[in-house]
Amino acid sequence: MSHGSTHASDGHGAHDDGRVHAHISPFGFLVAIFAALIVLTLVTVKASYYDFGSANAVIAVFIATVKAALVALFFMHLKSDKPFHGFIFVMAFVFLGVFMLFCMEDLGTRGRLDDSAGVQIQPRSGDVAPGGLVTPGGPEGHGAAASAEHGAPAAH
Amino acid sequence: MASTHDTAPHAETLAHAHPAFLHHHYDTPEQQFDSAKLGMWVFIVTEILMFGGLFVAYGIYRGQETHIFHLAHEHLNKVMGAVNTVVLLFSSLTAALAVRESQLGRRNRTTVYLVTTILCALVFLVVKYFEYAHKFHDGLLPGRYFTAHLHAAHGHEALPYRAHMFFALYFMMTGLHGLHVIVGMCVLVWVLKVNLAGKLSPEFFTPVEIGALYWHLVDLVWIYLFPLLYLVG
Repeated sequence: MSHGSTHASDGHGAHDDGRVHAHISPFGFLVAIFAALIVLTLVTVKASYYDFGSANAVIAVFIATVKAALVALFFMHLKSDKPFHGFIFVMAFVFLGVFMLFCMEDLGTRGRLDDSAGVQIQPRSGDVAPGGLVTPGGPEGHGAAASAEHGAPAAH
Repeated sequence: MASTHDTAPHAETLAHAHPAFLHHHYDTPEQQFDSAKLGMWVFIVTEILMFGGLFVAYGIYRGQETHIFHLAHEHLNKVMGAVNTVVLLFSSLTAALAVRESQLGRRNRTTVYLVTTILCALVFLVVKYFEYAHKFHDGLLPGRYFTAHLHAAHGHEALPYRAHMFFALYFMMTGLHGLHVIVGMCVLVWVLKVNLAGKLSPEFFTPVEIGALYWHLVDLVWIYLFPLLYLVG
């Protein structure tokens, strides 16, 4: 995987003739990748019937990422493509990570929802935030704990 | 001006004569091909970031209301989601095979694989239609259209009202993805038309390559949507 700027690094030999020299994937190889994707799908479905606690999402995202890598590397030809295309693609996920990280960080300073009381709790003082949570559609619903404050309906 | 091209001395300095598919502002087919691919990869990045906003919203909501999220996700049909996953993976395979056949200059085989890919897209949308119809019927809808907190359904207890947020995310994520499936179908139909018109060759298969890249992106998004929405609660 040299980072040469010409196609010579792709194992096609030197080509300066200006023609397109893209890698052609063998039929059996593409089918094998598909088979691997199906197996991984079965694994992730099977895994969803077991409870690994908070690791559930981690396992699911890990398997999905392996599948995505197979699709990107072999179906989308990133493996035999110019390294720069792969770089662009990976950067999308890097910046998505930055996006998510800052949002999560920010949320740590926000209030949280109190399920049982149907109210929002202020982060620092622990006080109940004004307004509360209103449940439209009557008090039959589970979220009806908030109906204590139903003097002001239709807050939406 | 055009008539001078035949006699222009600089024509000799080009490695190849200008084939019909080569736009005049490119020097070589290779340059044109690489430009198309670079453009497509940058476009794919913008698509990932667009979906990324929804995935971040998903992460935040799931982190805050894990329990309600779990209750709500049980209303999704795992089997239908899994079937659609297999359909999309298979369509990705046929799209990759269409590229291969086009590279080899086998027009009829390219046509077969492109048509198969388009049919898979249709199957995906039909399954999606049945899923959506079921959600509509049960009032599992976003915002004020959500009515599943008023009555129990299908052996499930009534959901808390705040579960409407799960279905807002579900419909936005699968809806935006579904829109991409429809656009992808249109792109593939266009590629099919170009192929049938006999405009492609081992020297010029860019439309198949780019169309397939788009289709793989659609598959890629679903690879994450399926486990995150249907499987982990």
